[in-house]
Amino acid sequence: MTDRRRNFFILLLVAGLLAGSLAVILSKPTRLGLDLRGGVELVYEARPTQQQPVVDQEALDRAIDVMRDRVDALGVSEPEIQRSGSDQILVGLPDVENAEEAQQQVGQVAQLFFYDWEPNVIGEDGKTHPRDPEVTGGQSAGSLGTMSLYDAVQVASKRPAVDDRNNTHEGLFYAVDEKDKEVVAGPEETREDLQKDVDELPADERNAKVYEVKEGTVIIRAEQRDNLKENQKSDRWYVLADNVALRGTDIKNPEQNYDNGPGGTGQPIVTFDFTDQGRKTWKEITREIARRGASQSFGNPQAAAQHFAIVLDNELISVPYIDFVQNPNGIDASNGSQITGGFTIESAQELSNLLKTGALPVKLELISQSQVSATLGQQSLDQGLLAGAAGLGIVALFLLIFYRILGVIAVTALVVYSLYFYALIKLIPITLTLPGIAGLILTIGVAADANIVIFERVKEEIRAGRSVTQGLAAGYKKGIGAIIDANVVTIMVAFILFVLATAGVKGFAFTLGVGTMVSLFTAVLFTQAIVGTLGHSKALGRPSALGAEKPRKEIAFDFMGRSKWFFSASGVILLVCALAIGGKGLDLGIDFESGTRIRAAIEKPNVNEDQIRDALATVGQSEAEIQRVQEPELGRNVFQISTENLRPDQVTRVTNTLDQEFGVAGEPNTQSIGPTFGETVAKSAIIAIIASLLVVSVYLALRFEWKYAVPVLIALMHDLLITAGIYALIGQEVTAGTVAALLTILGFSLYDTIIVFDRIRENVPRMPSATFSQVVNRSMSEVIVRSLATSFTAALPVLMLFLFGGETLQDFAIALLIGTLSGTYSSVFIASQVLTAWKEREPIYRRRRQRVMAENGGVVPAYATGNAGKIVDPQPSRRSRGRLTAPDDPDRGVSREEFDEMVRDLHVDQPPARTAVQDPEPEAPRPGADASPDDLFMKDDKRNGGKKPRNKRHGRNR
Amino acid sequence: MALFGWIMMGIAIWHFTVFLPDRFWAGIVGAFVGSVIGAVLFALIVSGFSLPSQDDTTVLTVLYAVPGTLLGLGAVWLIGVRQENAEGGHEGGTPSTPGASSAFGRSAA
Repeated sequence: MTDRRRNFFILLLVAGLLAGSLAVILSKPTRLGLDLRGGVELVYEARPTQQQPVVDQEALDRAIDVMRDRVDALGVSEPEIQRSGSDQILVGLPDVENAEEAQQQVGQVAQLFFYDWEPNVIGEDGKTHPRDPEVTGGQSAGSLGTMSLYDAVQVASKRPAVDDRNNTHEGLFYAVDEKDKEVVAGPEETREDLQKDVDELPADERNAKVYEVKEGTVIIRAEQRDNLKENQKSDRWYVLADNVALRGTDIKNPEQNYDNGPGGTGQPIVTFDFTDQGRKTWKEITREIARRGASQSFGNPQAAAQHFAIVLDNELISVPYIDFVQNPNGIDASNGSQITGGFTIESAQELSNLLKTGALPVKLELISQSQVSATLGQQSLDQGLLAGAAGLGIVALFLLIFYRILGVIAVTALVVYSLYFYALIKLIPITLTLPGIAGLILTIGVAADANIVIFERVKEEIRAGRSVTQGLAAGYKKGIGAIIDANVVTIMVAFILFVLATAGVKGFAFTLGVGTMVSLFTAVLFTQAIVGTLGHSKALGRPSALGAEKPRKEIAFDFMGRSKWFFSASGVILLVCALAIGGKGLDLGIDFESGTRIRAAIEKPNVNEDQIRDALATVGQSEAEIQRVQEPELGRNVFQISTENLRPDQVTRVTNTLDQEFGVAGEPNTQSIGPTFGETVAKSAIIAIIASLLVVSVYLALRFEWKYAVPVLIALMHDLLITAGIYALIGQEVTAGTVAALLTILGFSLYDTIIVFDRIRENVPRMPSATFSQVVNRSMSEVIVRSLATSFTAALPVLMLFLFGGETLQDFAIALLIGTLSGTYSSVFIASQVLTAWKEREPIYRRRRQRVMAENGGVVPAYATGNAGKIVDPQPSRRSRGRLTAPDDPDRGVSREEFDEMVRDLHVDQPPARTAVQDPEPEAPRPGADASPDDLFMKDDKRNGGKKPRNKRHGRNR
Repeated sequence: MALFGWIMMGIAIWHFTVFLPDRFWAGIVGAFVGSVIGAVLFALIVSGFSLPSQDDTTVLTVLYAVPGTLLGLGAVWLIGVRQENAEGGHEGGTPSTPGASSAFGRSAA
């Protein structure tokens, strides 16, 4: 395919995709994440149960199915339920405002059991007393409770193990504070799980004693009493012999209904049918209960009535009696049965939904919960969009000023890129989150960087004397390698981040990865097609149109010679940072340290921190850290309350107290992170950083050589440590977003380093007599402008993120700004220097160095000079094929590797007959040269099958 | 956090090795490895082979890394010198000419 046809095809493709993108943008809605639209996010960690001893993928998938059914029953639109890591489940419930209720509905295990009551209730002596109303509760069975949880654990733990197939567990563990006589953690099915719970307790409760309740005994909470407030649970308990009569799996079709039968109360109830097996068992059990009641009846049938208990997750739901007068042979279950028990319509619906969806196969521990109000979500969205628009605008302005006509083309590509990406977000669909917007804004910089790399190369070629047409062709051809290397590294880092990072960061990684891929298409292929099409037009015909009219001032800075001072500067900065780490430490946010953060807009004017602290003391939160924050969108009096990790009901208590005392405008924003989640975030961050470094090293070792990978790693460590150290110095809080930003720094830092190393690699074979430091100096002087320009372009959108992005996006922006600056610095002054110092130890470069020093009075000139003292420009194509270079080692000639590189560079397919033994005469630069080495070889190469070179303009053989 | 501080201190000191003649084993990269390993090992020994937590990390804790870094660098240096001597010259380092005074050599603009 000719270039012209190829360009036409690409432009056609771009136009087609653009039309498609516009159609998608106009027709499809944008799916916004919870942080942008408000809602509740819950993160659960799955733990094994007796029925499911191992938490595997299948168990998690089944749990997700059950949870999805429950969420659907809640009527939540566009819920997100997904696996996260090997044992976590993330539930996103948009527009839901009550985190506690959502948590109860979604994460409850919901194991339902039926017990024959009287024969199984255990007294304080550890034995059953079926006829003692003091133990069974008599007519108030189930509602009073016989003992406190502490006493219940003491009694139950002394009972022997009973191995029975009707048991519901194989042993449960409780942690007890003997001093205060209260149970502080449990029940858990293993000591290890209990220990995890204990570890999350305040320090003074961690010395709790562990009790085991062996199989055959179970402790259950007494029924909810009428005098208790809604959501307040009974603190009285029963100990039961764990002899289950029926299970939740024996019932079907549970529904919320009303007690409208004969003598009914009209109250909400839950009705259900039995399975065949359940029906049979139910009949037998109720018959036995009825007969027992009849046998104990002495005049008052109600006093002798026997009960059965319905237990859901170790809590009594209802303890109805069996009327042995009406049902002397038990209850016929063909019409199903019902549960009554002082339900409200909501609680009856809740129970019926739980029974309908079935029990979860695993136990779910809530390790993180957050609630974002719709107001804050809208504010975040507005800030994110503003930062994105500002980022795009300022990058466009920079491109137009610096690259003029090429800048117009690049800005067009940026706009096309933005439309494609927005359409992709709607089409896939990608749930757009705040971190995702940060990733999107960063990719604007990535897309612009690709253009800058090419445009700088184009300008360089034109300034070297090529025509505009040839400069454009050569610029794209030579720049593409560095761009692909840099973008592949960014994509790899984004992929690792996506696989290993926690859910919040995944959105960032996904948009960064997808955006980088799309930008490769628009920034390289699309702009190349435009440039190729307009290459012969007047618009692109003059060097001035491209900003390349003046010869660039030679940069003769001795990067290597001055490097020890830059190295020392880095050393001093790191020294200060290390001392800051020791003295101030890193301010790890609740993502790592666990805790609860509540942000509420107070309606009552002139409320101060002390008043809020006093109010919170009434709900046991006197130690809370309270600070006033500026959130104009939420209100004038916005306070942030930071506490230890609170359960959802404790959070509700705090927010209710604030509302009662001062009035809270709208829904407060809450976030609770458990220690397990914090550990997960920290662990995944460390794994992601190590994995990124390894993958990047392997890639660089393959693309360059392994010695190039080590300096890159050192430079990356330099950037990460400096960023972390500055965080310690300025006391900036480290969040999960900061970790994502740190990993992105890897990609950005590499971008610069790869550009520099790519040029070093290119120049090494072209400067066969120069020392390595001279090669690096030369390479640096050639790419320093490009390197600074790409860093500047990357920093511009980040700066916009910092200025307009709001608090959360500022987390990303600060780390990225420091990292981008440090990355540029380390690419120029750390990585290249380490590479130089290391390569100069190689025998070949040591000998070159000795020779150059001998020729120059004991010093190595900063730049390679010929006899006339001029800098030797690499011009491989000008050398005769028989005389390549003088070998550094007269005994060995040039190294095989060096020779191969020269051959590749010269496009010589067959090796020359012999290598030269004589120093080449340095040649003066040829500014008028208007042909690339490729062109020269193409024209003269007789091995080209005798074909005439193609007339590129017309795509036909000349 | 202490580990983080130790590594940071080790790398900070390593930066100043550019003022020394490059006779380290494996050159500047060898010095890097020596300083980091030395910093962490020595500080670990001083801390009783336990990693101080964030709250327990002080300026003094971070300074534990200094002697370790110097010892690590010294060890790598000694190995380098011995290797050079064994190879009968400066096979592993930069030449002993007046122009080669540090890891980056000396150049003239």
